[in-house]
Amino acid sequence: MPGDRSPEPSAPEAFALVARVGNALRLAAVDRLALAQGLAAGMTLADARARCPALVTVPADPDADARALDRLLEGMRRFTPMVALDPPDGLVLDISGCDHLFGGEDALADAARRQAGFASRHGFGPNAMAARALARHGSAGAEVPMLPVAALDLDEGALAALRRAGLRTIGDLARRPMGMIAARFGEQAVTRLRQIMGEAPSPIAPRRPQAPIRADARFPEPIARTDDMMDVIEHLLAQVARQMEARRLGGRRFVVQLVRSDGARQGLMIETGQPVRDPAAVLRLLRERIDTMADPLDPGFGFDSVHLAVPWTEALVERQPTLQGEAQARGEADVIALIDRLGIRLGPDRVRRLEPCDRHLPEMAQHLVPAARASTLDWPMDKDQPPRPLLLFDPPQSVDVIAGVPDGPPQRFRWRGALHEVRLAEGPERIAAEWWRRREGHQPGGAGRTRDYYRIEDGDGRRYWMFRHGLFGQETDIHWYLHGLFA
Amino acid sequence: MAGSISPWGGRSAGRDTPLAQASMPALARGQLHEIHAQGADWAAALAFALAMGEKAPDGAIFALRTPRRHRLPMVFSGDGLALLGIRPDRLTIVEAGNEKDMLRAGLEAARCGGVGTVLMESEGRFADYDLTASRRLVLAAEASRACLLLLRGDAEPRSSGAQTRWSIRCAPSQAWEAEAPGWPAVDAELLRYRGGPAGGRWRLMWDEDDGRFRDAARPQTVPGAVVPLSRLRTGADGDARRQVA
Repeated sequence: MPGDRSPEPSAPEAFALVARVGNALRLAAVDRLALAQGLAAGMTLADARARCPALVTVPADPDADARALDRLLEGMRRFTPMVALDPPDGLVLDISGCDHLFGGEDALADAARRQAGFASRHGFGPNAMAARALARHGSAGAEVPMLPVAALDLDEGALAALRRAGLRTIGDLARRPMGMIAARFGEQAVTRLRQIMGEAPSPIAPRRPQAPIRADARFPEPIARTDDMMDVIEHLLAQVARQMEARRLGGRRFVVQLVRSDGARQGLMIETGQPVRDPAAVLRLLRERIDTMADPLDPGFGFDSVHLAVPWTEALVERQPTLQGEAQARGEADVIALIDRLGIRLGPDRVRRLEPCDRHLPEMAQHLVPAARASTLDWPMDKDQPPRPLLLFDPPQSVDVIAGVPDGPPQRFRWRGALHEVRLAEGPERIAAEWWRRREGHQPGGAGRTRDYYRIEDGDGRRYWMFRHGLFGQETDIHWYLHGLFA
Repeated sequence: MAGSISPWGGRSAGRDTPLAQASMPALARGQLHEIHAQGADWAAALAFALAMGEKAPDGAIFALRTPRRHRLPMVFSGDGLALLGIRPDRLTIVEAGNEKDMLRAGLEAARCGGVGTVLMESEGRFADYDLTASRRLVLAAEASRACLLLLRGDAEPRSSGAQTRWSIRCAPSQAWEAEAPGWPAVDAELLRYRGGPAGGRWRLMWDEDDGRFRDAARPQTVPGAVVPLSRLRTGADGDARRQVA
């Protein structure tokens, strides 16, 4: 049953999706209202606007459409286990032996279309190709022989040749000898024709649901000791490891559910930075999680059963260890495991790495991200950039400054009650505010304050990074801030 | 201040040659090193620890700290680390909830094979850090060959299993052209050295060519076997050294 997907519930105005084809914007899909006004998919946007000035357009997003179709396919499993994708906008359901459960073919089709929620067309056929052709090219009550030859989905040249020969419907074509059709219109025309007529098989490739990765253990007698529980969990982890190994997967999230004999349930959940399936590693993380739980595991009168599930998996291919660099690779794996352990004990936001950001302001040029999710970007090195301090104050510290001339470097400054004489100073390094990020940033005074950074050294030999917030002549109240410490 | 600096150890050390005495002990791998500093010299202490600590070429660096009580809100700057030759993507910053958690996490990091440097920042008394705790850290470091560095801010030295104990202060830099502050300079005082004389003081200057700190009293052109004549010269004023603009 291919469904023809219209993008939005019909709006009061004609609506179309627009995609760039070559150098022109063309309509990718149109709704019913636009169709009534003479618009069609494939038309350039300029033409369409000329015909229908009030046309509402949205950029087409084929990826989102494909994801929506995927979700639709999962939903259609309710009607039959055999559902196949017919890209870009159709689904084929094999409903042999399923329709009576829903009160007949038509009732099933209605239910499926209601569930889908999109404007759609459907067709029934004795085989997948016939059903597909009826849904895409047939009108209500159409039979396969009455379908136009376009239903064969041949290329333009073959279709034009068919029309020139006066063959307009499938029925016309089916009455001719096959050998002649093959000679004049290509082998594919015959294959398609035979599939639609049901003379050749047209198998579908239904998408099979992936069995969830999980393992359960039920006990004849409740178990009350946590250590025994961990042994059972280790056994379950070995089971899911075998399942994941068969599918070349590794788990990123492991969920353990402990069911107590009085019906209470307790859950444990861990996440890892890299896909893993080694039971020992997961067990270590689980122990870590149990140690850090606010209220420890309470067995009560004992646990009845344990369920282990791995809801989040990623591909993990077994790698052959190389002789060279083996120690280093093992070290890397150890570090990742350490980050996972610390992340579980202290919280993932407590174990972080620096990541560069393409921003101008020094405090924005880097940010801290949880180490398990950090990318391994190379740090951008700018050789021409003046030296940067080792430590940054976050937020910058306000200081009182005496400068010789209004625009000059500071001469002495008071910070945390102590007076510092400036011995050496370099600057200013002017860093403008990011006006392009502000709404009124291009207007005078709308960009925010400019900073003039100075590298200074005081009489004790301590080096500071200091900036004047604002320009003399533009702002009246000008403050100085300490932004970093140099080594 | 510069006048008090001498490459000689505080106590005379018998058979040791003057040169061996004058050379600075390294912050070796597989050992624990304590670095004392005041809050205002924190950047100098960190630079000393990160630059002087011996590290494996690709070892990860773990910087552990506790929520600050008195210290200022400071974060590492990736650009600043890169200037010291530390790859910022090798650095993992761990914020432990309290000092006990930090010690435990530091111990675990020290036991981990791929970790090259473990840097712990503490301030004040740090009551959980005693002889037993330090000995544990040393044993872990010996096994994994990691370099353990413990920064102690505003703290009294306490007996521990550390190989070396330093006191670090900022030192006046050698100015660049146009009165600009120069490369980092620190005053390092060796408070304790297991298996050697303590009491040495060095002024260390950042050497841009080498990418590490260098004893300011020993010009790099003099071969190692010769006793440097400039060792009694104080500060960095007299040396005809490359000026970096």
